[in-house]
Amino acid sequence: MSNAILIEQASIVEKPEKKAPLGPLFWICVGWIALNFLGAIFANVLPLQNPLYQDYASINAGPSLHHLFGTDDIGRDIFARIVFGSRVSIAVGFGAMVIGFGIGTPLGMLAAYRRGRFDTFMTAFMYILLAFPAIIATIAVLSFWTPRSLLKIIIVIGLASVPLVYRVIRTAALAVSTKDYIIAAKVQGATDRRILLKELLPNIAPIGVSFLLIGVATVIALEGTLAFLGLSVSPPTPSWGNMINESRTVLQDNPWLAIFPSLALCLFLLSLNFIGDRLRNHFDVTEVKL
Amino acid sequence: MSDLSHELLVVEDLSTTFNTMGGPLPAVANVSFTLARNETIGIVGESGSGKTVLSRTIMGLQPRTNVSVTGSVLLNGNQMVGASESFKRGLWGTEVAMVFQDPMTSLNPVMRVGKQIDESLRVRLGMSKQDAKARAIELLELVGIPSPAHRYMAYPGQLSGGMRQRVVIAIALAGSPKLLMADEPTTGLDVTIQAQILNLLDELKDRLKMSVVLVTHDLGVVATRTSRIAVMYAGRIVETGSTRDVFTNHRMPYTRALLDSSPKVANASHTRLVTIPGRPPNLLQLSAGCSFAPRCSFATDKCHQERPELQAADEPGHAFACWNPLPTQTEPAPHER
Repeated sequence: MSNAILIEQASIVEKPEKKAPLGPLFWICVGWIALNFLGAIFANVLPLQNPLYQDYASINAGPSLHHLFGTDDIGRDIFARIVFGSRVSIAVGFGAMVIGFGIGTPLGMLAAYRRGRFDTFMTAFMYILLAFPAIIATIAVLSFWTPRSLLKIIIVIGLASVPLVYRVIRTAALAVSTKDYIIAAKVQGATDRRILLKELLPNIAPIGVSFLLIGVATVIALEGTLAFLGLSVSPPTPSWGNMINESRTVLQDNPWLAIFPSLALCLFLLSLNFIGDRLRNHFDVTEVKL
Repeated sequence: MSDLSHELLVVEDLSTTFNTMGGPLPAVANVSFTLARNETIGIVGESGSGKTVLSRTIMGLQPRTNVSVTGSVLLNGNQMVGASESFKRGLWGTEVAMVFQDPMTSLNPVMRVGKQIDESLRVRLGMSKQDAKARAIELLELVGIPSPAHRYMAYPGQLSGGMRQRVVIAIALAGSPKLLMADEPTTGLDVTIQAQILNLLDELKDRLKMSVVLVTHDLGVVATRTSRIAVMYAGRIVETGSTRDVFTNHRMPYTRALLDSSPKVANASHTRLVTIPGRPPNLLQLSAGCSFAPRCSFATDKCHQERPELQAADEPGHAFACWNPLPTQTEPAPHER
């Protein structure tokens, strides 16, 4: 082997750090989410019609200047109900996911990193929970845990999502924890806590965030299902989910009642996902952009 | 701290056996060797010969379950076999460090390379933020990275393979280890970069007074950079000795076959590479005899039935495990080919 020739400088490749641009659509989405949040927070002080007021003079009316999105089958203003409904939907969507991820992420990471008996038992336990239909468990718990409140709904849905989060996080962490850089950190004398927080967590974060956003969407829809069964917030209080459910009976007479809350839900989730995607690209340091 | 006269690393009768579904799998069997301070030993063998398992066992990096390790690994007087995780953690980084095979996977892709170096400086050596940064930049310079202060801020994805391997070496050197385990440190790199990295390791060894265990399948890599070589086959050391003896006066047919199968510059172009017929044995179904016997052209009945132990050759420190050794250069052939 000849090693006389050393091209010391040849191996240096300058790859500048360039971040992917966020683009105007990103800011439109951020604006939309912000608008939704502001609407939810300030619904009381905004110049909206009473979401509970039943105007029997205009039942199942289409969009007009007086009722921007029209009225439902008992004459309530759909626009006002959507703005007020965002409170329940956003609270349930994010609240339940905070609980689900708050419990599922540490357990999943620990199981994947430590393996052994803890992993075996934890995974078996979570899969047993997964095998049991979450919707039935949620219905059962909510039927008996009275009086019902938004907080209880958030807690129950959050706990029901733990096995799903656990499974996704554990799988992602399993793939990362066998990588050489984890072993490298270990043989540098790094503590387990440090490895979990500084090496493992940042590397599974993109997968976690993607799943979080899907989770928010699923949970908002799940709240609608519960509302349909009368197990969510009590009837006159609007939420996107229960508005969509209520609309099913009058779909032929008044499609607006289904379209507007669905549109609100759809745009909200679309914006969230788009923001998540752009942020991931923007902060991605693993792929070099030339 | 410890007496400088004794050997830095003493491996004695080390065996690592994995308990698999198919039965016990002896990945490393009865391996013994010693390594003096500021010495480099080369561990050579083909894929699956147990080199990597051996180096990880010496580090004390085994899976938590389904593996049994027997024998002894004394690292600067510390017993690594059966040691607790926290005891080993106290030695990792400062007594022994490791350079990994593939620089593409051995750096955390989402952490700046500088941070990856000063992590261990701050955690293990308790340096302040500023001191650690200064030291990390010094280390980057030491491993030959140009404009180190600038590179400190780079992410691994912004560096080429050769640069990354230099960073990996810098990380390993951060704790000033006495022993550096280099497990195929150049496999993932271009040939031109390979030589750079190996020369760098060699130079650093002398400058920092380290000992190095260089694990490789490439005899060319160990030829000029090690003082001694251990040839592994099917989890056992089949020949060991000074680099010179192993290259010029090898007795074990496997060593010969390995040497014959490396390409030579002196060969005419388009010379076909000599290969070793057959495949390495299935470690779950080892015969009672020599593991190399089925592929060996000198094998006799005895080879298939009885395992040869390492026996001393004429030169000091040279030993081989073979019933029908190749002739030494002075001695006439004991068998006809």
